[in-house]
Amino acid sequence: MSATTFGWLILLCPLLGTVVIALAWRWLPGASAGWIATLAIALSFGLSVAALIALLGRHPAHRELSSTLWSYASSVGLDAKLQILVDPLSVFMALVVSGVSTLIHLYSVAYMASDRGYRRYFAYLNYFVFSMLLLVEAANFLLLIVGWAFVGAASYLLISFWYRRRTATAAGIKAFVVNVVGDVGLVLGTYFIFKHLGTLDFLKVFAGVKDAFAPNQGDLVAGCVLLLVGAFAKSAQIPLHTWLPDAMEGPTPVSALIHATTMVTAGVYLIARMHPLFEHAPAAQDVGAIIGCLTLLIAGTIGLAVTDLKRVIAYSTMSQIGYMIMGVSVGAYAAGLFHLMTHAFFKALLFMAAGSLIGAMAGEQSLDRMGGFRKAMPFTYVCFIFGGLALSGVPPFSGFFSKDEVLLLTANQGGWHWILYVGGYLGALLTALYTWRMIFRAFHGEPVPEALELERGTIAHGHPFNPATGEQEDTDVGFPGPEHHTAERAASMRIAMAVLAALALLGGLIQIPHFDNAISNFLRPAFADSSLYDQSPSDTLLVVGLVLGALLGVLGILIAYRVWVQRPGTAERVRRRLAPVHRLFVEKWYFDELYDIVFVRSGAAIGRFAQLSFERVVVNGVLVGGSAGLVRAGSAAVRALQDGLVRVYAALLVFGVAAVALYFLLQSS
Amino acid sequence: MIALSLVIWLPLAVSLLAALLPGQWSGRVAAAGSLVTLGFAVSLLFGFDTHVGGLQDVTDKVWIGELGTHYKIGVDGLNLALVLLAALLFAAAFVAAAMREWERPSTFFVWLGLAQSAVFGALLAQDLLLFVAFFDLMLIPFYFLTGGWGGPNRVAATTKLVIYTLVGSLLMLAAAIATGVLAEPSGGHLSFVLSDLRALGLSKGSQEWIFLCFAAAFLVKMPAFPLHAWMPDGYRAMPLPVLAVFSGVLSKVGAYGFLRIVLPLFPQASAHYQTLMLLIALASILYGSVMAFTQTDMRLIVGYSSVAQLGFITLGIFALRPAGAQGAVLQMVNHGLVTAALFFIIGVIAARAGSEDIREMGGIAFRAPVLAALFLIVALATLAMPGSSNFVGEFLILLGAFQAKIVIAIVAFTGVVLASVYALRAFIRAMHNRLGESVESHEIGLRDVVVIAPLVLVILAIALDPQVALIRGQRTVTASISAAQAIVNPPSAAAGVPITTGTPASPGTVSPPAGAAQQLPQRNGGSGPSSSAGSSSGGSGP
Repeated sequence: MSATTFGWLILLCPLLGTVVIALAWRWLPGASAGWIATLAIALSFGLSVAALIALLGRHPAHRELSSTLWSYASSVGLDAKLQILVDPLSVFMALVVSGVSTLIHLYSVAYMASDRGYRRYFAYLNYFVFSMLLLVEAANFLLLIVGWAFVGAASYLLISFWYRRRTATAAGIKAFVVNVVGDVGLVLGTYFIFKHLGTLDFLKVFAGVKDAFAPNQGDLVAGCVLLLVGAFAKSAQIPLHTWLPDAMEGPTPVSALIHATTMVTAGVYLIARMHPLFEHAPAAQDVGAIIGCLTLLIAGTIGLAVTDLKRVIAYSTMSQIGYMIMGVSVGAYAAGLFHLMTHAFFKALLFMAAGSLIGAMAGEQSLDRMGGFRKAMPFTYVCFIFGGLALSGVPPFSGFFSKDEVLLLTANQGGWHWILYVGGYLGALLTALYTWRMIFRAFHGEPVPEALELERGTIAHGHPFNPATGEQEDTDVGFPGPEHHTAERAASMRIAMAVLAALALLGGLIQIPHFDNAISNFLRPAFADSSLYDQSPSDTLLVVGLVLGALLGVLGILIAYRVWVQRPGTAERVRRRLAPVHRLFVEKWYFDELYDIVFVRSGAAIGRFAQLSFERVVVNGVLVGGSAGLVRAGSAAVRALQDGLVRVYAALLVFGVAAVALYFLLQSS
Repeated sequence: MIALSLVIWLPLAVSLLAALLPGQWSGRVAAAGSLVTLGFAVSLLFGFDTHVGGLQDVTDKVWIGELGTHYKIGVDGLNLALVLLAALLFAAAFVAAAMREWERPSTFFVWLGLAQSAVFGALLAQDLLLFVAFFDLMLIPFYFLTGGWGGPNRVAATTKLVIYTLVGSLLMLAAAIATGVLAEPSGGHLSFVLSDLRALGLSKGSQEWIFLCFAAAFLVKMPAFPLHAWMPDGYRAMPLPVLAVFSGVLSKVGAYGFLRIVLPLFPQASAHYQTLMLLIALASILYGSVMAFTQTDMRLIVGYSSVAQLGFITLGIFALRPAGAQGAVLQMVNHGLVTAALFFIIGVIAARAGSEDIREMGGIAFRAPVLAALFLIVALATLAMPGSSNFVGEFLILLGAFQAKIVIAIVAFTGVVLASVYALRAFIRAMHNRLGESVESHEIGLRDVVVIAPLVLVILAIALDPQVALIRGQRTVTASISAAQAIVNPPSAAAGVPITTGTPASPGTVSPPAGAAQQLPQRNGGSGPSSSAGSSSGGSGP
């Protein structure tokens, strides 16, 4: 079978999984839905490997294959087909997405076991993975937008999975609407490109872009910046990031899925896929690089201040995606995608470990209430350490290699990119600080009652109240579930986490500078037309970067150890001294408040105004009243004689027609 | 091959026949008749020849000789999809209505049958006076259906409805007569046949006032801002099956009138008033969307969302570009399907919540997963999520607007974002969150499933292959806007491109609208859905 056949089958498996679970849910006993879903994604992963082998069997110059099923919207100049593109980039993405998602499914089988929405959960989860695979395999703009929106819809469904919680439905609609803003950016960007090239097909667009546009031509820059709007919305970059922290309302494995593979990486993929456009519009590249750098810094500072365990990890995702966006925006495609892969490993691991911890805390997520879990949950603790070391970029963990490569190539651009370089390393220090703050606060110090209970062999059962609103939880929909699961006890959770821990440790080894460079070499055919792909920065810069990265990571961990383990009061003192700054961080730089005032409140106010004044006074009063008054006056005589609407109508019609006919007969004679 | 007249008059004939039967039978027979009509309409789809432009299955008889008016009906790419839509939605309405108890059932079904016949007539008419006659006939049954079987406020609602549509109808009638008379060549014959009128043409001055009369009638019908004041009361008062067809089909006849009558007959006026119409469309989009997310009455949420969606359709039509018009026709079908489905779903939800107000709903999904799934699919299609056919329609509409007036297109995108807010808000407030106080949630019953599920299946089917609708429409749709397009976007400018670009590689001077228009004829030939799945790979195996 050829690579494209595998490409279609990769999509078919999760789609079938969704359909089967959705239609047959009533008859699926016990945990079977979970196993069907896991199997579907595992098959997708196997087929991705097969596609990889099929591609490697071809000459590097012939590794871009496309295949069409049917014409989707081909009319009036549009040429949208149901068409996939199988090339090294899409296969790479498919491998990461399906591989890590398989492990997340496996983990979910145990984690969600006692949830009343178990089967619905797995139908959504398969749909989510299907959407992401569609996104990365799409061969034209229209299909890309479809995959793009499917991902948004799937995330909505999963974020508001526990839909009896008002906080969950609010978070869901927020994510959906912000993502629609991104979709709009993508559609408008497509229009700008279609306007000049007259095609939606990626390969034709990429081939024609240099002839159709001058470098940095207005329409191309506008198109690329609008594509970036789409990327920012999906990848939670400033200023469209506000949905991501709220997305923590979903079950923890969903967070793992959103953060590691299926959603936030889409923006990174988009910029890499569109590299022929972006390289021809350097102004747009600069926008991407600057936003990426800003995001990684701002998210790092917020991560330092929030106390919700999952939100700390969420802000770290934002920050890490900032690195990737910066990387692919300066032409460091292989490095950015390499970081995407390693990040998928350690971020999925961290969320799974967090899920295990939250299970032990009976749904409680606040770091303020956690502590001393080291002895109670040794396996989870080790996973946190592995994930934390990889995230902080400590050698030889995977994050070390990938993050430094991104920054190295950023510096190689020279000029003002050195500011981004410095920002990136500052972000690395912040990363180490907030990561280890989280780990030390959760696992060190005095054990909390839940930890002690777990040490005694029982799991705490908590307070059925929503921490965000104080509302009593509605356990009918499964939250927080009658039973809890921790990695210490559930085999499928432990297996998934162990595999990811190994990958977090070893995943960086496949792309060591001057040594193997496997990812760069594999991806090269997809970037054959790029002028930025093969850069050779000086070895001095390389060594300085690696050493600096390692040192900053270790330094951050040491500071965190001193502040949160050795001298527990330090953080409190710093917080008091820098109260306004702390406030700014805790309030997430006031983005939510700003949007609330500018969009939500003003939108509602306009609506109320329209309803109360305009609709009531102008439309109903003047227009209806006026015309009604006119008719009433005119028909008063008729009414007096014969009541009833029909007669009025008939009379008017007859008079009207007669008058008009008379007029024209007089005219034409 | 079935004569189109059969399709037109069958619903009325069946419902009259059914009226002779005892109470509960009249509904069943009428419903069965509507399914037969649907079958005939579907056979039209299969009998349709996509390779031929122009009318098919034409019946042409002199109706009133002295007035030059003919009973001329025919099907082409412009009305084929709408006839199917009307047949489907009326069938759904008949079936839904047949399963409920009505006072005076036989009269009710006669009115509904008359409405269907009139709608078919208006869609298929190829003579101006015949169109006007059917258009007015179409409204009368709805006055009686609202006034006789409507909700509490039905008298005021009917009054508003009558006044508004009556004013529009009279203006249109006057304009139609004027069109025929003014177009009459000296010494020639008076004729109201559309193809004759199109060949004759009017002076620009006459076109302009006649345009305004027709526009008023069609905009009231849609309704468009600010002529929508009859809508809230009307929508609240109508019985749900009636409302489903009214909102699903009748509003489209207005939009269809622009493409069938106004643009081909009054191209200069259409070009002249293009900006005005685009602004009305934009205002409808924004106003409808904002109102839709402040309403709490489910019917009005859908009603105002229709104002916004019809705004998009108007936007596509008056972009005066092939993409916009194609999108508009596709979107008429899409919107008809989703609004009708939504109104049926509202009925099901209201039966569980005891109210049609979203403040009294909530949490219905938990014991009704199938209902929730159906509602979710329809809600996502309503907000034109990519992957739905609604998105393809909106994509084409906005592409047309983008090519015509870029600023208006960009502002119109606000409506896309707002649509996601109001559609999801309605879904969440009804199905999710805590259980409402008087809500008794239970699964959707078989009676409702047989009405809603087919609509949802059709929505899913055209989502997978919107090409089915596009391929049949493109010739006629492009033809109906071509005259007006030629005025706003003269072909000379497009033809000038190769001359000005001496060097072919010179960037940025490729003219896409011209390119798009030129590509069209080549595409008509064999762009049917290409077959065979996995085997159609781009390259051979390793």
